[in-house]
Amino acid sequence: MKFNYNEEAVKNLNIGDTTVLDRLVDTASAREAHLKKDRARRDKRMSLAEAVREFVRDGDVLSDTGFSYVRTPIQAFFEIVRQGKKDLQIIGSPNSNQTYFIAKNVCRYSHCSYAGVEMRGTDRALSRYVKEGRTRVLSEWSHGSMAQGFKAAQLGAAGLFSRSLLGSDIVRYNPYVRVMQNPMKAESEPVVFVPALYPDVAIVHVHAADKYGNGRFFGPAVNDIAIAASARRLIVTAEEIVPESDIRYNNKGVAIPFICVDAVVELPYGGVPGSMPGRYYWSRQWWEKLCRDAMMSEEKIQEFIDYWIMDSNDQYGFLEKLGGVKWMIESQRQTKAEEYDNEDDGFDFSYEEWTNANPVEKYY
Amino acid sequence: MAEQKPMNPLEMVAFVLARQIRDHEVVYIGTGLPMVAAILAKKTHAPNITLVYESGAQDPMPGGMPWSVGGPFTWRKSPVILEMAYSFGQCANGYVDRGFLGFAQIDRFGNINTHLIGGGFHEYKHRLTGSGGNNDLSSLCEQMVLVGIQSPEKFVKKLDFVTSVGHLEGGNTRREAGLPGRGPVAVVSNAAVFDFEPESKKMRIKSLHPGVSKDLCLLASGFEFLVPEGEIPVTEMPSPEVLEILRKDVDPRGVFTKLPGA
Repeated sequence: MKFNYNEEAVKNLNIGDTTVLDRLVDTASAREAHLKKDRARRDKRMSLAEAVREFVRDGDVLSDTGFSYVRTPIQAFFEIVRQGKKDLQIIGSPNSNQTYFIAKNVCRYSHCSYAGVEMRGTDRALSRYVKEGRTRVLSEWSHGSMAQGFKAAQLGAAGLFSRSLLGSDIVRYNPYVRVMQNPMKAESEPVVFVPALYPDVAIVHVHAADKYGNGRFFGPAVNDIAIAASARRLIVTAEEIVPESDIRYNNKGVAIPFICVDAVVELPYGGVPGSMPGRYYWSRQWWEKLCRDAMMSEEKIQEFIDYWIMDSNDQYGFLEKLGGVKWMIESQRQTKAEEYDNEDDGFDFSYEEWTNANPVEKYY
Repeated sequence: MAEQKPMNPLEMVAFVLARQIRDHEVVYIGTGLPMVAAILAKKTHAPNITLVYESGAQDPMPGGMPWSVGGPFTWRKSPVILEMAYSFGQCANGYVDRGFLGFAQIDRFGNINTHLIGGGFHEYKHRLTGSGGNNDLSSLCEQMVLVGIQSPEKFVKKLDFVTSVGHLEGGNTRREAGLPGRGPVAVVSNAAVFDFEPESKKMRIKSLHPGVSKDLCLLASGFEFLVPEGEIPVTEMPSPEVLEILRKDVDPRGVFTKLPGA
């Protein structure tokens, strides 16, 4: 056994063989993977299908990125589901995109901090899946403690001592963390050791990248700077590919250095049906339909995923279903008004909500 | 002003929660009702507050109510937009005065459950969202204000899962567990405002909302509140002007403040 896990949590979570936990905290193998990366400043562009085929592997620990539906590479996630990858572990703060992976038997393990769509609703499908054992919870987290694990990896530290989680049940359901005495203190002061977390693969969606992989984005970074720096493999999907000179002359917001990047995918509207700062607004009705209807039964979630994911070849097919050109223009107006890049005085954010009584087929 | 519809209990909760915010504070806003309260406070009595959100968004230009703690209204033309680890670090390092959170269950010491309802970790009735930033805010903020609808199912003797620690087992136990800050200082429900008795750290009725009797308040809980000596004050109600701002400018579609079925 390579690692010392929190025994109480291993027992509480009924984890038999703990080697399933190893990859996430295997610092040495992450370093090895990074050392082996091709250092060449070469054109790494490829299609989304190629990038997913080559760099997302069965059994990987995949990290959710962005903030659930804000600058999250949702279209790339859909491609992973379409390609039928197997036995993924999914981790993320938040981790709101697990359900469609689990429904199609792509994700077998979850590292949980938050799942759901805030005020639109909780994830009823995930609730069933965990109970039925279709996904196994390997660790419970808070956002802050998981963010510290990612950050420790970025900093190259073995881990760090956190003040979150103390006294809670989360420490009893997380094999990676343990309560310890703060070594700096003479008096009793419990702290929680959080190890550095290294996902196998991450996809980060950015506004612009050059063909080498240098990536620029704006809006909340959430955990993406840390994850990009530590994941063993990294795919960058970008709204647009710009010349290297553009990245160099407009380097504000460049947070991903090309040396980390394995594949660059030009993927306009890659964050749909979530939002992309400055570019498009989330589809409120889509998420409402997901939470209020699709997640309620197995039959409905399968039908929903088949229609939106399996039967859409790419983001263009998906966009057509959302409303095509009208959706694109309307969602840009909405996000610009909310960001105050357009005049918001008099701008009307009202819309027809998706409800069971009024199942609208309009997604903007 | 045209004749106003009478206030509903959720609007009262939003208003009372907003009143917990003092002007010039740095406040950390969880998703749900806290987002309504923060925007209402900013548009009324506390225009100089600085808002912090877990995605790394903070200090937006005034705007509408966010639809997500990562949405554009949380970082609208912000001077700096940071990352998740940084924002929780700000709580731990003393840059946040007050955090605002919702809950699925709460106990008498202000501990919170947002994980699951009924039957234990593997045999639950419903699995909920999990912690998100809930544990971190409760652990790290100098003062916490908690908000939720009051019923015996939500105000419980024993949580089904301890997601976040408030005063743990009361007395000095929060500090002994290693947690900084004063912990929860107020709980706002649709029946009352509560504080915590300074020694035992048990939840205590501070004021009752108009029309709510002490007995009704006690009945709508799975544990007993401490009751202050003498007459219990009545919670302040919003003026017609403030109610109008809440309805027109803060939550015009009633995402949080419309009663189900209304």
